[in-house]
Amino acid sequence: MEEVLFFVSAIGALGGAIGVVAMRNPFYSVLALIVHLFSLAALFLLLASAFVAAAQVVVYAGAVMVLYVFVVAYVGGGGESAWEPIPGQRLLAPALAIALFVELSIAILSSALLALGTEGPEVGPGFGNPEAIGKLLLEKFLIPFEASSILLLLAAIGAIVLAGRKREETA
Amino acid sequence: MNFNEPTLDYAGLSPVIALTVGLCVVLLSAVFKPVRRSAPGLTLLVLATAAGLLIWQWGDPKDLVSGALRIDDLSVAISLIAILTAGFCVLLSIREPATEQAGLGEYHALLLGSVLGMVLLAEAQNLVTFFVAIETLSIPLYILCATNLRREGSLESGLKYLIVGSLGSATLLYGMAFLYGGTASTDFAGIATGIAHKGMLDDPLILVGIAMCAVGLAFKTSIAPFHQWTPDVYEGAPTPITSFMAVATKAAAFAVFVRFFDVALGPQVDEWQPALAVLAAVSIVVGNVGALGQDSLKRLLGYSGIAQAGYMLGGIVVASESGVSALVFYLAAYAFMNLAAFAVIIARERETPFGDDIRAMRGLGAERPLLAWPLTISMLALAGLPATAGFIGKLYLIEALVESDYTWLGVFIAIGTMISLGYYLRVVATMWMRPEGGPATTPAIAGASPEADPIDPEAGKRLYLVGPALLAAAATVFFGVIPQPLVEFAERAGSSLF
Repeated sequence: MEEVLFFVSAIGALGGAIGVVAMRNPFYSVLALIVHLFSLAALFLLLASAFVAAAQVVVYAGAVMVLYVFVVAYVGGGGESAWEPIPGQRLLAPALAIALFVELSIAILSSALLALGTEGPEVGPGFGNPEAIGKLLLEKFLIPFEASSILLLLAAIGAIVLAGRKREETA
Repeated sequence: MNFNEPTLDYAGLSPVIALTVGLCVVLLSAVFKPVRRSAPGLTLLVLATAAGLLIWQWGDPKDLVSGALRIDDLSVAISLIAILTAGFCVLLSIREPATEQAGLGEYHALLLGSVLGMVLLAEAQNLVTFFVAIETLSIPLYILCATNLRREGSLESGLKYLIVGSLGSATLLYGMAFLYGGTASTDFAGIATGIAHKGMLDDPLILVGIAMCAVGLAFKTSIAPFHQWTPDVYEGAPTPITSFMAVATKAAAFAVFVRFFDVALGPQVDEWQPALAVLAAVSIVVGNVGALGQDSLKRLLGYSGIAQAGYMLGGIVVASESGVSALVFYLAAYAFMNLAAFAVIIARERETPFGDDIRAMRGLGAERPLLAWPLTISMLALAGLPATAGFIGKLYLIEALVESDYTWLGVFIAIGTMISLGYYLRVVATMWMRPEGGPATTPAIAGASPEADPIDPEAGKRLYLVGPALLAAAATVFFGVIPQPLVEFAERAGSSLF
C-alpha cells in the first residue's frame, strides 16, 4: 500500500512540476502546480510529517494558489515573449541549468543511493508531528517565531505603502 | 508533553526589544496628529537607545534563547555600524520626496524593521534565525526602494530587487536544507560537529549545500557574478535608501557570512577557501572595470561597491582572526567613506537639475567647498590613498591575506585599487576643474533627470545634508591618521570568533 501511494504521488509531483514549465497557458500552469503541491503533501504524509503536509495543503495549495489564480485571471497570459533579447542567453541559460541539475542530482543521489535497503535515518518518537513542532516554536525557535510576526507586520505595512500611493494619485 | 520555557536574558535581548518597541511606536506616531511629524526624531531616539544598549552589552559574550542568537563583540560591532548608517539615512531623508509619498511613519518604521533584521542577522547562529533575519532585513528594503513613485526607476528598482533578492533567498534556503540534511543540525556549532564527525570531505550533500549558501550570500553582498542587480537597484532607489542599502546591508550580510563560514563550515575550510578567493578576484575585476565610464554617480558607487565587496570577501577567505578584524575595520571605514559621498550626491541631486549625473558635480569646488571636500576625501579614501581610513583598511586586508598565503589575492586588491583611480579621480577632477561651457547650473536636457522631483536650490547649505557629509569625511580622515581606536574596536570583534 505504502509503495503504491509513494509511486502515485511521486508521479503526480514530477508530472505536475513538468506541467508547470511545459504548459503554454499560465492558467494551466497554475493548475499543474496545484497537482504538484498536493502530491508533495501526500509524500510528506508518507514520511509521517502531518504538520508539514497540512501546512502544504492549507498555505500553498490553498491560499497561495488562490492568489496565483486571481493574478493570472486579472493580468492574463498576454502575448509577451518570455525571452528578453540578451545575447547568448538561449544557449547559455539551458547549459547552466543542466549543469546545476547534474550537480544537484549527484548530491541527492549520492546520499539517497546509500540509504537504499536501509530503514532510513533514526528519529525520535514524535519527530515532526504538530505537537513537537509547536513545542520547538515556543522553546528553541522562539526568536525566529517572534521575528516572523514582525516580518509579517512589515510586509503588511509595505503592502499598504505601495497600494496606498495609487489611491492618492487617482484622487 | 512538558513545556520547558527557554531562559530569556533580557539584558542581552534589550537592543532587539528596543528596536521592536521603537518600530511600533514610530508606526503609531503616524496615527496621532500632534506627533505626526515627529517620526524622524523618534526614529533617531530609538536608534540611539538601541546603540546605547548594544554598547552596554559590549565585552559580555553570551548565547541567547537556546542558542538562537549570540551577542558578542562581532555582532555588537556590526549592529553599531548598521545603526549608525540608519541614523545618517534618517538625516539624509529629511525633505526627501519619497518619505512624504510613503508617509513619514511608514517609511521610518520600515527602516527600523530593516535595522532590526540586521541586528538579528549579526547575532544569528542558527539556520532558522539566519533565514528569518535575512528576510526581515530584505523585505522592508524592497518596499523602500519603490517608495518614490514619481521617479520612473524607483518602482522598477524595487521590483528588480524583489525578484533577484528572492532568488538569492531561495538559493540560500535550498543550501540550508542540504546542510541540515547532511549534518542533522540547524545550529552553527552543531553543523560544525556534524561535518567533523562525518569526516565529510566526500559528502556531496554538504558540499552542494555550502556552494548554494555561498551563492545566496553572494547575491546579498553583491559579489560578482551575482551582482547584476546592484547598479540598477542603486540607481532607481531613493538616494538615502541607496546609501543605507550600500553600507548597512553589506555589513550585516558580511557579518553572518563570516560567522556562518568560520564557525559552522570551519571544518570544511579547505573546500570553500579557494572558491571564495576566486569569487573575490572576479568581483574586484568586474566591479572596477564596470565602474569605468559610468556617468551616474549612484551606478558608479554601485560598481565600486561590488569591487569593495570583493576586497572584503578577502577577509572571510583567510578564515583567521586577523581576517575578521580586517573585515570589520574595512566595513566601518566603508560606512564613513560611502556616507560622505552619498550625502553630497543627495545635496546636489536636490540642488541641480542633473540628478545623480556626474555633471551635477561640475564646478562644485568653487561653488560649494563644504560639499566638495567631503566628496573628494570620500573618493580618495575609496581609492585607498594614504592618510584615509580606506588606505589603512586595505593595508590590514592585504596583511591578513599575505599571512595566510593568499598573496595573489592581495595583488588583485592592489591592481583593483589602481584601476579604481581611473573613475574616482574623474569625479574629483570634475569637481575642482573650472567648468567648461558656462556656469554649472545651466539646465540641460538631462539624461538622468530627476523627473518631477522638486528642486531645492539651497540644499547645498542645509545642515542636515552638509553636517553628515562633513562628519563622515572627518571620521574617514581621523581614522586614517589615528587608526588605533578603530583597530582596537575591530580586533575585539575579530577575537570573538576564534
